[in-house]
Amino acid sequence: MTSGARSLAGRALLVGALFLTGSLGGCGVLPPLPEPVPSDIVPSAPANLSPAAGGDALSPDGFDAVERMAVRIRNVGCEELSTGSGFAIDDHTLITNKHVVADSKELEVSTYDGHDITVGATATAGLADLAVVRTTDPLPSYPELAKTDPKPGDPVTVVGYPAGGELTVTEGEVISTTRDPLNANLGEVLLTDAPVEPGSSGSAALDDKGRVIGVVYAKTADDNSLLVPLSTLQDMLADDTAFTPAKGC
Amino acid sequence: MTEAPAVTAPDPAPASAPGRGRGRGARVLAVLLVATIAVGAYLWVTTVRWQRSSAEWEEKAHGYAEEVASLRMQLDGASSELEAARDQLSTATARITDLANEKAQLGDENVASQQYLDYQTQVSGAAATVASALGQCVSGQEQLVGYLKDADQYEASDLRRYEEQVNELCADAERANESLQQELRP
Repeated sequence: MTSGARSLAGRALLVGALFLTGSLGGCGVLPPLPEPVPSDIVPSAPANLSPAAGGDALSPDGFDAVERMAVRIRNVGCEELSTGSGFAIDDHTLITNKHVVADSKELEVSTYDGHDITVGATATAGLADLAVVRTTDPLPSYPELAKTDPKPGDPVTVVGYPAGGELTVTEGEVISTTRDPLNANLGEVLLTDAPVEPGSSGSAALDDKGRVIGVVYAKTADDNSLLVPLSTLQDMLADDTAFTPAKGC
Repeated sequence: MTEAPAVTAPDPAPASAPGRGRGRGARVLAVLLVATIAVGAYLWVTTVRWQRSSAEWEEKAHGYAEEVASLRMQLDGASSELEAARDQLSTATARITDLANEKAQLGDENVASQQYLDYQTQVSGAAATVASALGQCVSGQEQLVGYLKDADQYEASDLRRYEEQVNELCADAERANESLQQELRP
């Protein structure tokens, strides 16, 4: 081998060695030094924590909002006693049926936990079986109103005091809309299969999100329930002349 | 004269070529050696650091494992307490609902009793009025009988007028009594 060739080979070897060394480090063959171990690896705010099983049913006193907004109405009439249901729509306003508060000498309202609510003025609608009762005492809770009337097949929950007994929640679904067989309401009413009894009149009918979709006012012979639809309730509430002061006995 | 033959100087002899080659080879080897030593030292330092880091992580893992075990025990205890509290809450809400219903029923009974009492008071008042009217009727009739015994001493027209008044009073009393009896019928 000539000296030139040897020199060339030496340079190539040197370059190769340097290349090898550089590439070992540069290409990651050589392991990097470890990062310092952090003193604390616990995240400050755990993310995506879901409530424990059953936690969604808790409320300030163990009763859910559906129960807290329902009231029992005792109509002390001049000659007889009757009971009905109602529900709050704001801090001092109850909705119930006109026939629940009719011929009344005195109305006595109590909440889900037995508290008595002092009642103020009562007004009834002329064109629907609806009444508005103002209360002096604040009401514990009130639901939202739904955006639209429900459609057939939609779930419905009724909260009230059937037969003047315990606060009861029953469920069913909307069957159809129909003409009012009692002619107590202008326009169509809702027919559902949610069980109701005398005393359920004035109960709130709620959708699956707990929003009001109607007001129970009657029971049919085949054990279905009739509701004043939300749209009628909203129309009546929006009309200043729709409700007039109730006449006592 | 002959020309002297041209003499050309030979190429420089590569007297030092082997030495330079060896020198370069040595330098290359030295560089390789240094590089190898450097890489080895780096690997040693890296290994030591990773071992230390690994030990620290392991120690931390043990610490967290103990903490997890402790928290699991606390969680189990808290879950049991929560379950018991939920049961108690459920029982309490059911009891509140029962009490609210009992209070409502008692209120209904109280109102119904009051209404019945009011009714009885009205009936008693009506009965007293009827009894009084019937008593007046009887008194009137007795008085009329007395007058008729001494009819000669009275004007006949006065007696007839008094008789009509007594009859009217008695008819009113009789009607009131009929109404009362009708009201009292079950």
